[in-house]
Amino acid sequence: METCEGRPVPIDRMRVRRLPPMFRWQRNMAIVLMAIVSGWLIPATAADSINAYSIWPENWARPMLQEFEAATGIKVNFLRFSSGEALARVIAEKNNPKIDVLFGGPVETFAAGIKEGIFEPYKPPAATVLPARFREADGYWTAIADDPLVFMTNQKFLTENKLSPPTSWDDLINPAYKNTLQMADARTSGTAVTRIFSVLEVNGRDEEKAFAYLRKLRANVQLYTKSGGGGTLPVGLGQAAGGIFFIVDALDTKAKGYDVVISFPKEGIGTSAEAIALIKGAKNADAGKKLIDWATSPAMQGLFAKYKINFVPAHPDVKTEASLADVLRGAKIFAIDDAFAGANRKRIVDRWVAEILP
Amino acid sequence: MSSLAIRLEHVSAQFQHRVQGAVAAVHDVSLEVQPSELITLLGPSGCGKTTTLRMIAGFQEPTSGRILIGDRDVTGIEANDRGIGFVFQNYALFPHLTVFENVAYGLRVQRQQASHIAVAVSEVLALVGLAGFERQMPHQLSGGEQQRVALARAIVIRPGVLLFDEPLSNLDAKLRVQMRGEIRSLQKKLGITTIYVTHDQGEAMAISDRIAVMRNGAIAQIGDAEQLYRRPASVFVARFIGHANLLPASVTRVGVGNVELDIGGERCIVAVQCGDLRPGQAATAVIRPEALGIVEAGKTDGGLIGRVTSCTYLGDKCEYVVDLAGAALEVTKANPQPSDRIVPGTVVRLNLPAAGIHLLPEG
Amino acid sequence: MRLGSQNPVQVRRRRLADPALGVTRAALWFLLALFVIYPLLRMLSAAFLEDGRLSLAVFFAILAKPSHRAAFINSLLLGALVGLFGTALGFLFAFTVARGSLRPRWVRLIDAATLLPLISPPFTTSISFIFSFGPRGLITYDLLGLKGSNVYGLASTLGAEVLTYFPIAYLTLRPVLSGIGGNLEEMAFSLGSRRFNVFRTVTLPLAVPGLANAFLLLFAASLADFATPLILAGNVFPVLPTEAYLQITGLFDLKGGAILSVLLLVPAAIVYLLQRAWVARGHYVTVTGKAGPQSAVRSVTPTARTMLLAACAAVALFILYLYALLVFASLVAAFGADHAWTLRHYQVIFTEGRKAIIDTLIITFIGMPLGGLYGVLVGYLVVRGPARGRAAMEVVSMINYALPGTIVGIAYLIAFNDPPVVLTGTALIIIACYVFRYSPAGIRTTIALLQQIDKSLEEASRSLGAKSATTFRRVTLPLVMPAFLAGVGVLFIRSMTAISATIFLVSIGWSLITVRILENMTELSLGPAAAFSVFVIAVVMVVMGLLNAAVRRLPTATGEQMQWGIGGG
Repeated sequence: METCEGRPVPIDRMRVRRLPPMFRWQRNMAIVLMAIVSGWLIPATAADSINAYSIWPENWARPMLQEFEAATGIKVNFLRFSSGEALARVIAEKNNPKIDVLFGGPVETFAAGIKEGIFEPYKPPAATVLPARFREADGYWTAIADDPLVFMTNQKFLTENKLSPPTSWDDLINPAYKNTLQMADARTSGTAVTRIFSVLEVNGRDEEKAFAYLRKLRANVQLYTKSGGGGTLPVGLGQAAGGIFFIVDALDTKAKGYDVVISFPKEGIGTSAEAIALIKGAKNADAGKKLIDWATSPAMQGLFAKYKINFVPAHPDVKTEASLADVLRGAKIFAIDDAFAGANRKRIVDRWVAEILP
Repeated sequence: MSSLAIRLEHVSAQFQHRVQGAVAAVHDVSLEVQPSELITLLGPSGCGKTTTLRMIAGFQEPTSGRILIGDRDVTGIEANDRGIGFVFQNYALFPHLTVFENVAYGLRVQRQQASHIAVAVSEVLALVGLAGFERQMPHQLSGGEQQRVALARAIVIRPGVLLFDEPLSNLDAKLRVQMRGEIRSLQKKLGITTIYVTHDQGEAMAISDRIAVMRNGAIAQIGDAEQLYRRPASVFVARFIGHANLLPASVTRVGVGNVELDIGGERCIVAVQCGDLRPGQAATAVIRPEALGIVEAGKTDGGLIGRVTSCTYLGDKCEYVVDLAGAALEVTKANPQPSDRIVPGTVVRLNLPAAGIHLLPEG
Repeated sequence: MRLGSQNPVQVRRRRLADPALGVTRAALWFLLALFVIYPLLRMLSAAFLEDGRLSLAVFFAILAKPSHRAAFINSLLLGALVGLFGTALGFLFAFTVARGSLRPRWVRLIDAATLLPLISPPFTTSISFIFSFGPRGLITYDLLGLKGSNVYGLASTLGAEVLTYFPIAYLTLRPVLSGIGGNLEEMAFSLGSRRFNVFRTVTLPLAVPGLANAFLLLFAASLADFATPLILAGNVFPVLPTEAYLQITGLFDLKGGAILSVLLLVPAAIVYLLQRAWVARGHYVTVTGKAGPQSAVRSVTPTARTMLLAACAAVALFILYLYALLVFASLVAAFGADHAWTLRHYQVIFTEGRKAIIDTLIITFIGMPLGGLYGVLVGYLVVRGPARGRAAMEVVSMINYALPGTIVGIAYLIAFNDPPVVLTGTALIIIACYVFRYSPAGIRTTIALLQQIDKSLEEASRSLGAKSATTFRRVTLPLVMPAFLAGVGVLFIRSMTAISATIFLVSIGWSLITVRILENMTELSLGPAAAFSVFVIAVVMVVMGLLNAAVRRLPTATGEQMQWGIGGG
């Protein structure tokens, strides 16, 4: 190109070699838009899949839900939360529910949720044969398993301190256990709530007596864990001496090979049912109902033994697996009164947080 | 390439000062630059010369007035459309590009062919004496070399106008002198209309066709070096260009083509440049130090009497400061011989030159 | 804009010639309003508004709880201690490296040891701490024979956080100490000062701005740390981020969580303002590549040097030990019970954890270029844009970075779960969280670089006929490229290792590796947790290596500055 008169030739504005920032900006907006679109598309579920939050750990939820998919062809997309977290999420998402079913978790969590209006009542066929404590009167939740609490202690610790496994609640306030126990934090875990209500029950629902005990117990507690089973590994490793856990977690620890002992208090200890419920406003309600039907029936609960999941089945037609039955033999286990627990949960937990936790 | 004239018509630039309010950096400046001319904007810092230059370049917008390059009104036009070449004080070489790429930058923007670019760049590098430097990076070059690259970069795009913003102030004195000569000869060779900004009066006088002395945002005087030196239009210009002695004078008689002045008691006749002088009128006489003759009082008659307060020997000249009835006058004597040296304290007589006095009317 | 212009035409022409600038500015403000200001406002209204009216009742109720007040004080205490010890440790390292004339081998060891905590996913130090210092810990029990040592509480949280964050102090102080030229110390020596005196009267005072900056950085980091206290603080030492988290997830009290987050805002804001006052006003240490002549005088005696080196090496080796423990845990069947070698855990993370890995990588790799570009554009506008709104844009763009992650996560949860903008459950919410939270490192580096680029460079480009778009592309962008890469690098590290904000934002559709690590830990699947962690560290090291190699090949390779940019974020 020749320049003439010393003036530069006007540049052809439309020919650009590389994208100038203007176009680059548009291109990036396009990328962002694609991300938005894909982001919105992914959680959109097809007709044959449902979304759920599982309070059961993944190791147990996954095989069960995979069996469900094998049996019905419905895929379950799930995310695992501890009971407090799960409830918090569902309540937060109340106006725009992201899931269809809340899977597993102690009953008292569900009871608390009813108050928040997050569940849709639904009675599966199994409800007719389930005892009263395994179903909610109006159908807001139905039980899929039973899970007694147990004492679990580290064998090495016992041996070193010449102790026998604790067989009474009072054994746990023995100074020998000072700063060695781990158990769940009532703010986040249903295990803790069940534990606290067990203590209440054992003390004839006398709050003062119960809290006096809990205070003594506090002196021996090394850590209140976020999740119900959080203390099992430390106990297994010997970092902690013992704790109070659901039997599923305790037996799981033993099965991993850790040197632990399971025992029961003679005064009795509570058990909490594990439930399932349909979320209000669920986008895949019909498929969700199918999951509830399946989980509350022997179809799922008969699989506990196969996958070594140590829940006691809720459905009366399913036999407790032999080795589990062995462990439970002779133990005094009582059910937590759900109505009582549901009504007083917040107050008791608040009181526990205020008086026991610090 | 033919060159363009530049015209500024009543250009002003105002900006808001946080404390002082509206301040005029440039106030009603009008200027006409002839094609192929090199005109320098000269003045102390803050006088508005750089602002004026940047307005011509398009980096700053005038608040009022018009700027024309050639016969094109460029007042509203972007800097990249004005066809100018700009050489910065700090060279502004692109640090991430080689010398070749720096110089080729403007040509690439014009989408010129690679072969043409290669030829043009090597030509212009040879012109500024940097042949062979193509692969160097800016930080590997000395100050003078960097300035030449900046120059090459501005020239290669064949602008109609070349603008220099104090290009030599970062160089040492000797290099400055050498570079200014090179710039001048290059400019003459290429014949590009050039506007040059500097605060260095010697530089301005050495290279310019004309000089515009600026002060407080306005042009104090335009003229070539001799006009400014011998016939300054104001006390400011007189003082700014070279050294000046300013003596109060009164007109005693007005003749035809001349006036008689009384300066400190001495009478002298001066050829008149400015009209409307009446007897009795007060004026200021501007006399350059080298125009005054200095002789020991005992050796001559006539002239103003004063006492030498200091003498500085500089090899090629002696600079005297003479106390004249309270006023300090500078007197320079060239090529001083040992016998001529006058020691401080000596009473001397100063001879007023016949043709070395310039008159500034009072007021 | 300009009054009294005779030619209204010219003003309009100017504006039209730069539409790109105006549009970019508007777009950025829109994004900032949507992703920074809006969530914050929603959170504040959730905390303080009851049915539309200002209500401080719940606020006071929350404050009344002693555990919350304790948490507030604990957070400040912990932050101050971490700042103190972390800065001291970082200074030790920086001084040893800058003045100790170390052999490259030692420098490499120190660099490796200090890099690891920076690029690790959360909990890594905590896990190893528990294994080492618990009642049956490897160090306390097996090595020292102490019984019943308590690993939960202030001491271990402090220790873990100091080890996690001191590299930030190290990276901040190293250029500062290198920049204090040997000339000054030479001069002091020539005046007869003894070595320690020189250190005390010359080196230390000159390092004070850097020390203050490091302290503030560490204080802020500790204030926001959610992961370490979650594991190690126990119940005796509550801190605000974990309290806020528990308030929401445990007591499902969104309002209470929001209020606790607001409490965290106060010290965070103070720290941020202090930093601006200290650092932003030109205390940037620009490494020009023209180092002063090396001091011929040794600033440290050989004995002192050996001692310093030994101390650093001890700390470095301890850090490496912690990470070795992690690798070990990922390769044995059940740490503490069954030490059979197995690759099972890695198998698990690549099958069951595959979704989390893919999700994380997708989100990270989308966020990186977006965030990098956003950072450069904001930086450019802050330095070169029209004066009006510049300072505001700079401050607003830093808000999400200055706030602790818990606050940002909660704010996003509250703001984007309900209409008008529903983003929960998508990848976009996580990407947005990362981009607007971690880009400020890139913004700051861009600003620093641009301030070194004289305006005349861009004017020169214009004078040669280039439009502003071309100027940006051919002159500004190449010179700012180190900042872009630094921003991308920080984004990458943080996206792979962040948890405190995004724990609230994961969904069924999109999960993250770090959240899976937490889940695994709470489910006591230590093997997979450790395997995930090792995987993340490996990926980060590879990508960072690539980025660093890219930076070194840049025309104006200011490699040192880049290093600083990534670490100091």
